[in-house]
Amino acid sequence: MLTRRRFIGYSALTSAALAYRPLLLPGMAQTPRDSSKPLVRVAVLGDAYQYGSQLQSIVDRFLVGYPFEGDWHVPAIQVVSMYIEPKRRAQVAVPMAPRAAASRSAQENGGITIAQSAQLAPRGGGTRAVAAPEHAGTPGQMDDLSVGRSEEFGFRLCANIPEALRCGGDRLAVDAVLSVVEQGDYPLNHKDQILYPRYDYFQQCAQVFQDEGRAVPYFNHDNLSFSFSEAKEMVNISEKLKFPMLAGSALPVSWRLPDTDIPMGAQIQEAVMVGFGGIDSGDFDALEAMQSMMERRKGGETGVKAVQLLEGDDVWAAGESGRWSKELLSSAQSRSDAPQGLTVIDGRPQDMVSAGVLPQLVKDPAAYCIEYNDGTHATLLMLNGADQNFTFSARVTGQGLIATQFFNSPLPNLTFTAALASKIEHLFTTRSAPYPVQRTLLTSGILEACLTSRERGNQRLETPHLSVKYQAPAESQYART
Amino acid sequence: MSQNTDPTRRPQIAVLANIYGRRLHTEHIVDRILDGYGWNGVYRKPSLEVVSIFVEQRGEGDLVPERAKRHPEMKVYNSVAEALTRGTGKLAVDGVVYIGEQGDYPRNEKGQTEYPRHRFFEEVIDVYRASGRSVPFYLDKHLSYKWEWAKEMYDTSRKMGFPFMAGSSLPLTWRIPQVEMPLGATVRESICMAFGGVDSYDIHALESVQCMVERRKGGETGVEWLQAYRGENFWKAHEEKVWSPEIFKAAMCRSFTRSPGRAGYTDVYPTLQQMKALARDPVAYHYRYKDGLRSTIMLLGGLIEDFNFAAIIDGQAKPLSTMMYLSKEIEHATLESYFNPLTYYIEQMMLTGKEQYPVERVLLATGLLCVGIDSLFQGQVRLQTPQLDIRYQPTESTMRKT
Repeated sequence: MLTRRRFIGYSALTSAALAYRPLLLPGMAQTPRDSSKPLVRVAVLGDAYQYGSQLQSIVDRFLVGYPFEGDWHVPAIQVVSMYIEPKRRAQVAVPMAPRAAASRSAQENGGITIAQSAQLAPRGGGTRAVAAPEHAGTPGQMDDLSVGRSEEFGFRLCANIPEALRCGGDRLAVDAVLSVVEQGDYPLNHKDQILYPRYDYFQQCAQVFQDEGRAVPYFNHDNLSFSFSEAKEMVNISEKLKFPMLAGSALPVSWRLPDTDIPMGAQIQEAVMVGFGGIDSGDFDALEAMQSMMERRKGGETGVKAVQLLEGDDVWAAGESGRWSKELLSSAQSRSDAPQGLTVIDGRPQDMVSAGVLPQLVKDPAAYCIEYNDGTHATLLMLNGADQNFTFSARVTGQGLIATQFFNSPLPNLTFTAALASKIEHLFTTRSAPYPVQRTLLTSGILEACLTSRERGNQRLETPHLSVKYQAPAESQYART
Repeated sequence: MSQNTDPTRRPQIAVLANIYGRRLHTEHIVDRILDGYGWNGVYRKPSLEVVSIFVEQRGEGDLVPERAKRHPEMKVYNSVAEALTRGTGKLAVDGVVYIGEQGDYPRNEKGQTEYPRHRFFEEVIDVYRASGRSVPFYLDKHLSYKWEWAKEMYDTSRKMGFPFMAGSSLPLTWRIPQVEMPLGATVRESICMAFGGVDSYDIHALESVQCMVERRKGGETGVEWLQAYRGENFWKAHEEKVWSPEIFKAAMCRSFTRSPGRAGYTDVYPTLQQMKALARDPVAYHYRYKDGLRSTIMLLGGLIEDFNFAAIIDGQAKPLSTMMYLSKEIEHATLESYFNPLTYYIEQMMLTGKEQYPVERVLLATGLLCVGIDSLFQGQVRLQTPQLDIRYQPTESTMRKT
């Protein structure tokens, strides 16, 4: 497994060079920006500009450009201000202590990308607890990068969110806002949800917009809130103040193997998504990927009627009783490049479903069973210990099985953030969302409801509040070119 | 040539190999033949029956005992002839799969590993001749380290009339993006930017190019000359624009593993200075086809760790570019799934008796490899290649779509 320590060896310069800033030559082979386009000024809000953080991987795309369609693309976007939570800026390498809760609690993946959370999918028995990242202890790895970047790229480091939006002046001085809140060491609630302050960040921006009678596009990385009602309020405000909003994970918009989508207007009989990683992190990415497929079905998205999160033996019993399709699980896993168990030991391929090995490999299985309002049902199976790929399969009327792997880009480049950056760029430069923020509104709500089901002893929960209706764009929105 | 004509049983295959160990080619291919693999959205069950196996090097980590125990129909033999005749004195299988990759074999003065592919091939042919019939033969990877032997093997297969397939899995794997060279395109220049060592990964880059450019207008008509560049010479050639900077950049931008030239960055386009610092031992084979097409394959390990193709095509404003994706480069991958399509096409050849893609592709790539190594060995001189007067038309695209 590639550790951060080994990964550092990939760079020409060692981390020691970080201490000697003059050694970092600024000459970069950048394709010059198209100077005929006005630059979109962006305020960045976040809690960790550290090497390997989501914010670092995404925001750098707007500073040094990114690979796009076989070229190096430098967007007509300028980061002009940044707010990073002050306690993060001072932080040095600290191993993240495992949560003291029972094996089902999860959270150590602060600042972890999809790829990293893939690496951290559990060791020692496949619990849904996630162990400490291996970069703990490597000098310099947790160092704040915001100061260095601000010096190099000339943006203002701000003490609070309103200052970032006003760039130190007294009026809104940006054309767009990018929010990446990701650290895992916020408190957990009693449902093991991480209490990210994304709603708080948003509300501070909304206040500025309201005060000034002007609002700008807003991107919220990952789920809108741990609370659906907060998430709903965010979307309502964006509609009221008339600014376009986009949110969510990179997984649905990145590469797929094969390059395939649910045909628009298809009749989906049933779907199974396989995911891995921690509670309120890997499951969210998986739900978003699944939803990006489901939303294309006949009739458009009309929301979710009920959810139930099953755990332990109930997961396998549900498969046996046909509550979720074992055929679809086998199909999804046929797309995986990362089956565990015997494949790790001697390299062989396996059909884990027919071999019956899943119960012994997956110590803490979970099935997020979703009943849509239109009668379609879909199940996310979190299979830590058995698989480390995100895969999907659906039985579609007239099409048979449609199955794909949501590709998890490797280190060092983490190109799924380039795919996401192109969507953010679309939002910022055209002032329209390439896909509806309602997708993330719904998935945020699904996740909250599933974790509520779990907290209530895995009961089935009716979810009338999740009647979120939206129409997905006809054109596929993932990386294809 | 005959094939299995009994529809009620699966074709019976003899497996020959240099070595059978964890995460070696034999394991990847033969495990899939034995146990199945993911294909077209389902787990595909075995469609061939392996009835015999001969592995030349059996040492620590040998997987033969475990596999034979789990597959008792697969009998273990001590020679090529025994595996093919199975005690009957005559050819007693419907097909032969020989994994001639890896294992401990001598290296020659040119740095080539002297895999025993020609020797094994000859032993198979001996059985074919003695039996008066031949059956489909798959060889992994390319034909031989010696051009004369490669040509002889190819000629023998044509003369004796048996289906013969060989070569790399790169032409068959997923592409990111999933794009194919348009059939009949006028291709001006092509590149495959890759990594790995001379005599091990260069062949994959050559096949990556070939599977694309063989689709060009006029089909394949052979190569005129080749020149290798290494180290300082590589960068000099780069700066002199021996290869197009445009497709160099396009290939670089398709990579998912560009080493960041600066600490604290996960993805930043490297400067020339940074590239020079990162590429451990840059090697290029630059060659000119008879119809004027120029091509370059380059090994840039340290700078990138994947396979990226780009080409300039008449009538297209931007180069066509894509990555030939190998899951082994992904840190959490446990399966080298590019062997899935390879196994599928081996099966198809055994089931249908038809070559699934042109063996001339691997003959030409083998020839280019030999010349590339010779050029390096002779001080990076340009070598004329009259022996590479190889002509063929492409078959259906083998890009993985399913």
